[in-house]
Amino acid sequence: MWRSVRRWQGIVLVVAALVSTVWLAVTNQLILYIHPRYIVFTVIMAVLGLVLVVASFVSKPDHDHDEPPKRWRAVLSITATVVTLAVAVGLVVVPPATLTTATANQRVINSTGVGAGTQNVSSAASAPAGTFAKFTVLDWSSLLRQTSDASFYQNKAADVTGFITSDKSDPDNVFYVSRFVITCCAVDAQPIGVPVYLPNWRSSFSADEWVRVKGEFDTNPSRTSQESIALVPSDTTKVDQPSDPYLY
Amino acid sequence: MGIRVAESRRSGIRTPTVVGLAVGVVGIFAVFAVRALTPALGKWSLPNQLQDLLTLSISVIVESLPFVILGILLSIIVQVWIPDRWIMRILPANPILRRGVISFLGIFLPVCECGNVPLARGLIVKGFTVSESMTFLLAAPILNPITIITTGQAFGFDSWVFVARLVGGFVIANVIGWLFSKHPDQDSLLTDRFAAECRMPDPHEHGETRWKKSIELFTRESGVIMPALFIGSLVAGLVQVAVPRAVLLNLGSNPVWSILAMMVLAFVISVCSNVDSFFILPFASTFMPGSISVFLVFGPIIDIKMLTLMRTTFTAKVLVQLTVVVALLSALIGLVVNYVA
Repeated sequence: MWRSVRRWQGIVLVVAALVSTVWLAVTNQLILYIHPRYIVFTVIMAVLGLVLVVASFVSKPDHDHDEPPKRWRAVLSITATVVTLAVAVGLVVVPPATLTTATANQRVINSTGVGAGTQNVSSAASAPAGTFAKFTVLDWSSLLRQTSDASFYQNKAADVTGFITSDKSDPDNVFYVSRFVITCCAVDAQPIGVPVYLPNWRSSFSADEWVRVKGEFDTNPSRTSQESIALVPSDTTKVDQPSDPYLY
Repeated sequence: MGIRVAESRRSGIRTPTVVGLAVGVVGIFAVFAVRALTPALGKWSLPNQLQDLLTLSISVIVESLPFVILGILLSIIVQVWIPDRWIMRILPANPILRRGVISFLGIFLPVCECGNVPLARGLIVKGFTVSESMTFLLAAPILNPITIITTGQAFGFDSWVFVARLVGGFVIANVIGWLFSKHPDQDSLLTDRFAAECRMPDPHEHGETRWKKSIELFTRESGVIMPALFIGSLVAGLVQVAVPRAVLLNLGSNPVWSILAMMVLAFVISVCSNVDSFFILPFASTFMPGSISVFLVFGPIIDIKMLTLMRTTFTAKVLVQLTVVVALLSALIGLVVNYVA
């Protein structure tokens, strides 16, 4: 009896994880959890795993080798089983989602040197005008890290998309258009962002909403914000979350 | 008479087999259907932190799962398909040399650290001593081609960090192997359940085919590893949501505190050794090289996910001793690198 509980718990968890993985891959949502470079490997192993699971249904279990656990161990085991099943249900039932501002704030936007070398000030200075419209939040945050000279940003129109995270030093007038940068999986996501000066932004937007901001960078007019340069928007619109919300 | 017994046995096996297969396949499709249909019911407005806890935990599961499956597959190959003498014959008889060679087995069996747990279990069943399998378990995530290349790409093949990681990984794995080989009762290092499994003369010798043994091993190993993976992922997610990252980042420039901060970060983040170099690279501008080395040496061996996975095999006491010794040794390596680099 005890052995078959263990056996079926393993199979149920494997099925929940493998089926969810395959479904996420089919619906192109695996990138919400892992870097695209691992998708092929992950799918191959998931399919192999499913073949083994089906084979295990054909195979008849061995006779029982296990002793039933002692009382307190049984309580611990049952608790663990309930917890793992709860996670499995979450995996199968709750719709997939990206990380939110809770993690962006917890990990502090632009706190690491991530993407510091993505764009180079000297090559950006001489780039043709059309280049800048294609710059992502990562490109701009990389430049902002390197120079706070307002003249560098003149005549360089920005057009960026990201979710809103409020600026702690001036939460009413400045927010970050932010994205997560991923190296392996969502666990290592680093939040990066570009400060946007939009007085009283909460009247039309809220944190976690995805927006597209067009405008130019200038000296930050905010009195309290610690960001010296900010994007002063000419147009800010709500948009749907993109299908590939993370940057790499 | 003999024929009749055989026939009845055969038909007795066939019926539950077909039923089992049908129930199983229908079950898989049912799970798939639930997964495919629930998003249509609309978004769940979970609180942000709960949503992120779920996303982070699932991310750890999805990222580790292929390596766990690969690890179980390699463990099956080692246990069922490779003759005992193959592995045992190439290893030197001297225990120290033997562990030295075992440290490099990861070059041929390149599995990430979570996949190494089922593989190390398989090696114990196959005849490795407990301390030898520990050496393999600790060395293989660092001394394998993928980790070596990614670390070299991230930091440069002639950097202190690269050298410290490879040499450090080798030294720690062998010191740990040597320490635990001094224990008079090797079996007492293992959990009761796993020790019982190892004590059986040949657990799978019931006149079965190799295929059936393989399938049986897959079921048994997933029964052991999957619950540990799920719990480890959930705890790793919980800690990530709860511990503010700024606390760790502020400690970056102090030679001693930055080492501790990196150990805590490695412990919390539970990221795979094949890619952790790319993860830690952006921190190189704020943290000292010794502390980066500590992250890269300590992380593949000890983190939340690994401890839960290793708990399937080793006793809690062994894991505490292991954690303390590995922490001290990697801190020493970090201090040396901070001093010379």
